[in-house]
Amino acid sequence: MSNQSRVNRKRRSLVIASACAGGASALATAVPFAASMLPSERAVALGAPVEAEIGQLNPGEKMTVEWRGQPVWILHRTKEMLEEIERTDGKVADPKSERKKGELTPEYARNEYRSIKPEYLVVVGICSHLGCSPQDKFKPGPEAFESQWTGGFYCPCHGSLFDLAGRVYKNKPAPDNLKVPPYTYLSDTRILIGEDKKRA
Amino acid sequence: MKALVVLLALAAQLALAAEEPVRLDSAPIDPRDVASLQSGARIFVNYCLNCHSAGMMRYHKLLDLGLTEQQVKENLLFTTDKIGELMNVAMTRKDAKEWLGTAPPDLSVIARARGPDWLYTYMRSFYRDPESATGWNNMVFERVAMPHVLWTLSGQQVQEERKFKNMEQAEAVGRQQKSAWKIDVLTPDQAGKDGERFILKTIRTETAGSLSQIDYDIMVRDLVNFMTWMSEPNQITRKQVGYVVMLVLLVLLVLTYLLYKEFWKDVH
Amino acid sequence: MAAAEKQAVTGAGPFNGLLTWIDQRFPLMQTWRSHLSEYYAPKNFNFWYYFGSLALFVLVIQIVTGIFLTMNYKPDAAQAFASVEYIMREVPWGWWIRYMHSTGASFFFICVYLHMFRAMLYGSYRNPRELLWIFGMLIFLCLMAEAFFGYLLPWGQMSYWGAQVIVNLFDAIPVIGPDLAIWIRGDFVVSDATLNRFFAYHVIAVPLALLALVVAHLLALHEVGSSNPDGVEIKNVKDPKTGRPLDGIPFHPYYTVKDTFGVVVFLVVFSMVVFFAPDAGGYFLEHNNFIPADPLKTPAHIAPVWYFTPYYSILRATTDEFVLWVLAPGVVAFALLLIWSMKKSATRIAVGVIAIVLLAGLLSLDAKVWGVVLMATSVMIFFFLPWLDRSPVRSIRYKGPITKTALSLFVIVFFVLGYLGTESVTEGRTLAAQVGTAVYFLFFFLMPWYSKMDKCLPEPERVTSK
Repeated sequence: MSNQSRVNRKRRSLVIASACAGGASALATAVPFAASMLPSERAVALGAPVEAEIGQLNPGEKMTVEWRGQPVWILHRTKEMLEEIERTDGKVADPKSERKKGELTPEYARNEYRSIKPEYLVVVGICSHLGCSPQDKFKPGPEAFESQWTGGFYCPCHGSLFDLAGRVYKNKPAPDNLKVPPYTYLSDTRILIGEDKKRA
Repeated sequence: MKALVVLLALAAQLALAAEEPVRLDSAPIDPRDVASLQSGARIFVNYCLNCHSAGMMRYHKLLDLGLTEQQVKENLLFTTDKIGELMNVAMTRKDAKEWLGTAPPDLSVIARARGPDWLYTYMRSFYRDPESATGWNNMVFERVAMPHVLWTLSGQQVQEERKFKNMEQAEAVGRQQKSAWKIDVLTPDQAGKDGERFILKTIRTETAGSLSQIDYDIMVRDLVNFMTWMSEPNQITRKQVGYVVMLVLLVLLVLTYLLYKEFWKDVH
Repeated sequence: MAAAEKQAVTGAGPFNGLLTWIDQRFPLMQTWRSHLSEYYAPKNFNFWYYFGSLALFVLVIQIVTGIFLTMNYKPDAAQAFASVEYIMREVPWGWWIRYMHSTGASFFFICVYLHMFRAMLYGSYRNPRELLWIFGMLIFLCLMAEAFFGYLLPWGQMSYWGAQVIVNLFDAIPVIGPDLAIWIRGDFVVSDATLNRFFAYHVIAVPLALLALVVAHLLALHEVGSSNPDGVEIKNVKDPKTGRPLDGIPFHPYYTVKDTFGVVVFLVVFSMVVFFAPDAGGYFLEHNNFIPADPLKTPAHIAPVWYFTPYYSILRATTDEFVLWVLAPGVVAFALLLIWSMKKSATRIAVGVIAIVLLAGLLSLDAKVWGVVLMATSVMIFFFLPWLDRSPVRSIRYKGPITKTALSLFVIVFFVLGYLGTESVTEGRTLAAQVGTAVYFLFFFLMPWYSKMDKCLPEPERVTSK
């Protein structure tokens, strides 16, 4: 009887060892398959950082640059616009950009104007709700969606509002501010979108 | 029936002068020799990429050869300014066909189709041929449309023929050649009275180029090394992963064998 | 209520409850018992019996890697070639997935050929396993179709010209042939339309049929029970108390652990090819297939992938002279043999009439037609093995010298034809292929006689160990 149990114990440990080793190998095999669904080198190459020339952009004007297939807005804000931003602090949900810090707002843009230089706003023009692209509503004044509108962006899909720093209004479907992509100034009039460290 | 007669006639003609394939030199390549690969990349970009594309290869992949982004941008990017681009060529296929008679093939995977030995021999087997449109012919690729792009480096070669009475003699002399050689065999009627049916064809340098033959061979070696690497840039990774997988499998092999033997103790 | 009558599942620890719940709504334990834990397989399986489960394992590899390949492959003549290279270079781990798929194709055939050879060695196709064998043959046909359709997809020179040649085989069929070939291609040459439909066949149509047939094959196997190297029925000798075959052991755990070990050995060999020699010297991935398809230029030397080469050799061996001097006399001789061994005059007359019609066809139609016919016959003839083999014993262990010689010759000829099919044609090689073709068919057509007259050893009562 003791012989029998010894055999069973050996058998049991072998089964466990094989099952563990086999399971681990199977799991390791699944990794490359899952990894093959990540962006390919082509996708990465197409998503490479893009440069934008902003010298021609007059105050109050906006330009759109495509980066990774998404619209990136560059808005040259006027003095009045910057003042409006200060006034909306109370209306927006996350005035200091503290939510999802690293993901939505790089450190260098974590200020009231959400930008490196206050005049130039650089944000990804995709609503944080369900991915529509909001419309420009820069002119302050009463609007159907907000009686005391101070200028900003309006999302036509589900009515979310953003101020001129891309900060989302309270009590709207969209949960977060518009994303500020990583970017850096190559010179006073050129910015590089998609990368913030100087390239080697 | 008519077609058959024509075919037979054609076959008969071909059979008259049986042509042996060229003996290929073995290419002394090494996909781990990074210096050679880098040099090959430079040669490829400078000479080949003017007419041939490598449209499945991204410049970015050259970083795997130990080059930095800056080095690639400064030394190897001529047709584009983006390192993420494919190695395309400015010439369209239609233009190429008009200018060269045939569109130069894409070279991304040519080394897998032809093999490194073929490429190595081919690049060292051009010779002057007044009858061809480009003035060049090639031992490995009869009536090739491509001119000898590297001739200023290699010098100019001409083809030589020597007749022999038997195959062994011809082969013995052929084997001593430093460059490509082949033996054409004539039928007895074609050979004439002396009966010398075996024609050894070789090439000989007539005017020297700017490189010595040894340096030119090294240059071609580097080029072929690079093209072979480019035909499968993941080949080094593939083998490295392979060793790990084999190791894991050996562990599994032992475990499952013990498991099998343990259970089969019951079976008498 | 039937559900309540079932016993609760035991032995699965914390999962007992869940399994009982399922079992009361689904024949879970019954399936487990009848196909694994209480399916009794002969205990004397040898090396050859690994290849069935291995073929199943390769099928899984092919399906999984295939799914991931379709995520990046483009079935479009303008993009197909580049998309395969895109997978090889730019998709993370794409090279590994693609090499597993391309190597898996060859290993599928290796496993299936060895599996079939096992059946020929031990007479596994004999009564009552004829239908099992037929399902197996249908799987083999599906596999050939699957491999053929799949081979077009990389859109290289060999893909293109291979498809061109095979589709043109249908062209040889009298009357409807040319239209049929156009219908198959959807164009006057192999083109984008052909690529697109072959993609549909390769990724969904044939795999569905293949899976259904595999299920049928397994069900048929488990209905009649596995044969074994001795070719005796283990069902004949049962333990009087338990009713279990004395020479049988439960498939699970004994054969599950053994086959698991087999799978690991297989993976060692498979991985050696995948990681260290994925081209297999041009046999698994042909060199010319790295040149994009060019409808205007046939490569100097085209050959199908190795697994089709024996049949391809037979196709090429069928020349006018071969038809006249070997095939026609062969038909006459065979007809005389049949008439001599038939008893009824009605069947004798029928055989005579068929032979005359065949003879007339042989002498009037092109050799091209007969090449196609012979090639098709060389594959289809396997279907008839259960009825061609009339030996009193099943296994080669107890068969006589004639059968052993015939089978050895057949194997040699199969390899020789396979080798010749990869090489270019010369006079000598054509002659060799013609001799090979003759031997190939004699093996099958004479089997009813030599298998019967052979001096066989008596079969044992029970299976022998070793």
